[in-house]
Amino acid sequence: MNRFSLTWDKGIALLLVAVTVLGSFGVPYFGSTDNISFILQDIGEITLIAFAMSYLIIAGEIDLSVASALNLSSATIGVLFKNGVPFGWAVVGGLLTGLACGLINGFLVTVVGLQSLAVTIGTLALYRGLCFALLGNNPVNQMPDDWTSLGYSNIEGTFFPYVTILLVVFGALFWVVLHYTQFGRRVFAIGINPEAAKFSGIPVARTKMVLFALTGLMSGVAGVVYTLRFASASPDGAVGYELAVIAAVLFGGVSIAGGVGTLWGVLASVLVLGVVRSVLQLSDFSANALLIVSGALLLISVVFPRASEMIRAGRKAKSSN
Amino acid sequence: MISGIQKLLKVREVPVFLALVLVILITGFANPRFFSISGVQDITLGVAVIAILAVAQTFVIVMRHIDLSVGSTIGFSAFLIGYQSSHGAPLWWCLLSGLLLGVGVGALNGFLVAYLQLPSLVVTLSSLYLVRGTFNEIAGGTTITNTDVPKFISFLGRNYLLGIPYLFWIAFVLMIAAGLVMRHLGWARDLYAIGSNPAASGLVGIPVARRTFTAFVITGAIAGLAGAVLLARFNTAAANSGTGLELNVVAACVVGGVAIAGGLGTPYGAVIGAVLLQAITLALGALGVPQFWQQAVNGILLISAISLDRYLSSRVKPTQIMRINA
Repeated sequence: MNRFSLTWDKGIALLLVAVTVLGSFGVPYFGSTDNISFILQDIGEITLIAFAMSYLIIAGEIDLSVASALNLSSATIGVLFKNGVPFGWAVVGGLLTGLACGLINGFLVTVVGLQSLAVTIGTLALYRGLCFALLGNNPVNQMPDDWTSLGYSNIEGTFFPYVTILLVVFGALFWVVLHYTQFGRRVFAIGINPEAAKFSGIPVARTKMVLFALTGLMSGVAGVVYTLRFASASPDGAVGYELAVIAAVLFGGVSIAGGVGTLWGVLASVLVLGVVRSVLQLSDFSANALLIVSGALLLISVVFPRASEMIRAGRKAKSSN
Repeated sequence: MISGIQKLLKVREVPVFLALVLVILITGFANPRFFSISGVQDITLGVAVIAILAVAQTFVIVMRHIDLSVGSTIGFSAFLIGYQSSHGAPLWWCLLSGLLLGVGVGALNGFLVAYLQLPSLVVTLSSLYLVRGTFNEIAGGTTITNTDVPKFISFLGRNYLLGIPYLFWIAFVLMIAAGLVMRHLGWARDLYAIGSNPAASGLVGIPVARRTFTAFVITGAIAGLAGAVLLARFNTAAANSGTGLELNVVAACVVGGVAIAGGLGTPYGAVIGAVLLQAITLALGALGVPQFWQQAVNGILLISAISLDRYLSSRVKPTQIMRINA
């Protein structure tokens, strides 16, 4: 029997369609080009990091330091530029900083053998602390206009902001690698059973190292986007983004236990959260409503599959009696 | 004698405690004002809230779980206590409402984790959002000012017993009580068993779900009551009260030897960890390190603590491959 099965990620995609349709008919200005542009900008950084975080969580690890790494990359750009480095090179410096953050996490987890949850709480404080050490109380607000306009304006002749290019390119890249390459299959294998993966010849430690480095690098990319969007580098930027990223990934159907998830589920999840946020804002709901909705959606994303599993198990037990 | 020292060094809390003594001695010699009574008061007053939450967190971390919702709960409770008091409610009613709030959040977390077997990281991350959102919606722009705070609570926040702030005594008494409970009571020993091996604990007849539920309710209840301590500490509360405390609390536990992997650690360690982090923050100030470096140093300290713990435990027994089921 080949009937359509409603998996979690398909459910999220349907939810995305439903919310978008409801929004376009029910909420004034929702469908306006300005608003679409705004939504895409709004989800940019979180989506970029969520792509890499999905791999990490599928492999059974986690990284809580991403928001601090994002901001450290932004702070690096600010400090380099303030000290006379050309902006282009400052951006390269920011990307390398992100990569370095990821490599440090990876080293502590795979070489020293520590648990990623504990390690990345430590590096969350460390990287954030370095932002304060670098910038003190002096945010860098002078940035060249020709760069920052990339952060807030649209691609000429369209209503898509420039960050859309990054979202499409990285989205395609991460999707293909996760679902259609050997590397992607290894990530799933590690998440399902790291010992079995090791004994079947998968370089578990090296793969995890790459995943941490990748997450750091994507935090760096998000740091560049963030810096350009706000035309500023401050020590206390992007606080709390790590939980938003993890919430988006989990809501997208990636299992925190590892081994399960799809990249397009995550993409749909980030979009749903962005659209819901926009609908709530345009309908004059407060920012608190968004917090409540994010919490409720995240909870539903774990309760719903478990409940249906329990019901199914109950039915099975009954029919076998 | 030597075997006695070796035995002592194997107690998980001892290295952290030695580190604490070292920090205080070095700082004290470099800057004698650190030794003064006001130095002690700075540390003990600043650490009270984190210490109390760290004791609460110990109950869930030894079970290989985590509770990220404590920052939201304590903030909401602090606001609730002040708000009710400003409308003329008696102190006992204010405290009871804070406690009930905490028990409610803890019971929700506990039910979802224990009976639906959902991962505690996700569940408590959701309740962090839910509680914070509800709290902000109710609080809006309202600020609880010092005139709204119940007299007794602001008295506790500003006065000292034997030179130590009352708030720290509260944390201290809670630590001793929790320490005795976790050492001697059967159901609390079960928490360690569950954290060491959840599957095996079920097989030997430990009611895993019920114990898990209880532990989350205890953590929530302590966080709810601690709202009074947060209110006493700052003499004010608003929609952002308690934001971000959860990660500091987990850090204090981990530094104090409460292993994220479960099965190890005590409330004493959690409090020592919290005091160490606070002492280092103040030590840096006393040593003239710019305050901007403090958070970075805390991060390095946390990473060093877990690395050292890993090194020491790998010498004791062969390395085990452990997976987090956070």
